[in-house]
Amino acid sequence: MQIVSGGVTDVGRVRSNNEDCFRIVEPLHLFVLADGMGGEAHGEIASAMAVETVVKHCYEGNNNPATTLYGAPKPAWSDKTKRLCSAVHLANSKILQSAQEHPEQKGMGATLTAAWIDGNCLSISHVGDSRAYLLRGGSLQQLTCDHSLVAEQVRHGILSAVEAERSEMQSVLLRALGSEPQIEIDTEEHALFARDILLLCSDGLTRMVIEPEIAGTLQVEPDANRAANKLVELANDAGGADNITVIVVRIGAVSKGWFSWLRPGARRNAGNGSGGK
Amino acid sequence: MAKLSLMFQNKLVKEVPIGNRPVGIGRSPDNDLPVDNLAVSNHHARVYFEAGRLIVEDLDSLNGTFVNDLRVERATLHDGDSIWIGKHHIKVDASGDAPIPVETRRKTSAPSINETMVLDTKERRNMLQQAAAMGERSQFAGGRLRMPTITVLGGNSDQKEYLITNKLTVIGKSKMATIKLRGWFKPELAAQINQRDDGYYLGPGTKTPHVNGKPIQGSVRLNDGDIIEVCGLRLNFMFRE
Repeated sequence: MQIVSGGVTDVGRVRSNNEDCFRIVEPLHLFVLADGMGGEAHGEIASAMAVETVVKHCYEGNNNPATTLYGAPKPAWSDKTKRLCSAVHLANSKILQSAQEHPEQKGMGATLTAAWIDGNCLSISHVGDSRAYLLRGGSLQQLTCDHSLVAEQVRHGILSAVEAERSEMQSVLLRALGSEPQIEIDTEEHALFARDILLLCSDGLTRMVIEPEIAGTLQVEPDANRAANKLVELANDAGGADNITVIVVRIGAVSKGWFSWLRPGARRNAGNGSGGK
Repeated sequence: MAKLSLMFQNKLVKEVPIGNRPVGIGRSPDNDLPVDNLAVSNHHARVYFEAGRLIVEDLDSLNGTFVNDLRVERATLHDGDSIWIGKHHIKVDASGDAPIPVETRRKTSAPSINETMVLDTKERRNMLQQAAAMGERSQFAGGRLRMPTITVLGGNSDQKEYLITNKLTVIGKSKMATIKLRGWFKPELAAQINQRDDGYYLGPGTKTPHVNGKPIQGSVRLNDGDIIEVCGLRLNFMFRE
């Protein structure tokens, strides 16, 4: 499968510092996004540490499958999914450890949403209230659930979705990296199909821009980078109350097929043998 | 505030502001913008805000609604657009501020707790219990979790019953689909079910599924007992204790 991605992070219109962090590792098809929290500049440290750790651990695991796996991966998962989940566990320990060594960093933490694509299998690991979406069939399918108090209340039927979005408690998280030594990480595998669009974003986007508008922007803008920038622009137009980070990943069509050579561009790909999977 | 100006032969007939309620246009006097002409249907069209955009929708009128000479069923309006209904012409003035519709208002109200914070497990339980005590629906207090299941009533699939555990459940022929379709010419991705905070939503894949006999439009929320039909498969969506 052909994968094209783009990402952007923006401080927004209100905050003075950007505590979001993201990384796109093209050769691995690995996408990581974190939103830090904690006073002073510590949120930035936490989110950067989370992203660095995940990327590094996935690289190591990719080069040497014998690298230690942290956490308790499910046997049914693919190697990449196990590695990704392990990486998030490691990031949690790293942040905690750093906070213990540097007392001034106490209380720092980060949300983390990471996606790793291997062929048509998408692995997602997630903690916190950043989100992963899949645009498919014209609508956004949410792949993660927010680990926030209001979202939990909605799941238990205490609040309605609309009440939750007006709640003052939106920033209260139930889970984040760096809060406890043992954390629960949501990890799942999904099938990818041609023309899917994967979106990772921090809450700075989802709290400012409604989902139909996000879906519309992704559909209209074919370029991943421009789509990411457009989404940031929309969030800023709506007030930009928080840092905004967006990663857009477009899954191309599979070029194998009986008459695929008839499709535009197929011949060029066939020529240098680099087309698709 | 945005407004509509009804013009006839270049003379202003009436002006109406566009608020949170849709503006009805038609021959019948109960419309917000009545147009007295036999070529105009009783309830011809309406104009309203949706997600910050101004929308005109034709209500199956006999002679049609035209925006800048194009016949439309539903279209987004911009400042300076003209809507033609019969021989009347409605000028769109969207230069004023849009009223803040319910959907977007929630996005603009910034949360008052600005700093993100994490609750530890104990605090979290207390808060949730408090919230549950306050909430009228006491589902949480009982601690019962209802598991969504899909029972196959008819058609060719790999199992007779499925428990929905994933955020996204794929119905199709794909190897990675949860509910696997069998048979020739079945699509890889027929439909999908998305678990969201407030429920389970069925969305189309390459096919448009039917729920309780009606084709769905976009994603629809599934209710206990719904019958889903897609690609020759009849499924029953149910919550089990």
